[in-house]
Amino acid sequence: MSYREKSDFDRPTAESVEEQRRTMIWVIPLVVMQQGMAIFRHDADKSSQLISTVAWAAVTLAILWLLLGLPLRWLSERDRAILNDEWAREVSGDAARWGIAALAVIGCGLMIGRVWWTLDAGISVYGLVNGALLVAVLRYAWLNRAEPAEDE
Amino acid sequence: MNDRLANRLKDRRTELGLTQGQLADLCLVSRKTINTVENGVFVPSTLLALKLAEALSVPVEQLFWIAR
Repeated sequence: MSYREKSDFDRPTAESVEEQRRTMIWVIPLVVMQQGMAIFRHDADKSSQLISTVAWAAVTLAILWLLLGLPLRWLSERDRAILNDEWAREVSGDAARWGIAALAVIGCGLMIGRVWWTLDAGISVYGLVNGALLVAVLRYAWLNRAEPAEDE
Repeated sequence: MNDRLANRLKDRRTELGLTQGQLADLCLVSRKTINTVENGVFVPSTLLALKLAEALSVPVEQLFWIAR
């Protein structure tokens, strides 16, 4: 019996993944916000909890991969090297720093705000996490914006 | 102190007739890394600086220097 070699026409490459990193980054905060709302919903049934958990796990993996460059088996060594090169690490590191700074500022804002308003714990955590994530993603998108021209 | 890393990466690359993409492939980095190093947006590590020098066949100190 002979096997046909697996076609690789749809296999992602470093270039296609880079393109997705640039164009699809907005999906992460969107899904995290939506899932966060599901977590803090008091009347969520089992099925929606299950779907939320799967979606949350997928987003967690995407974030880990973006930040830590986890190896993907279908990428060649060359593609992995390019995707985790110094510029990629610089961009995700800087974005993470902005996210942590946003966490501190929003946290401080909540502390000050609670003097005047009664804060709901769930909503506060939701705002804190998503605010920081949004800042980090915006910073990432800004640094990783459209590919510059050859000699720009 | 206002030290910054200057380079003649673009001059040397064009001397050899290489595009940013081709140089990126030689060093196993993205084209954006080459672009940002050329434009002084990003300071490369010693390892990458040495790889670039090797790919462009020049001593690293001819490629990068401190501009004051």
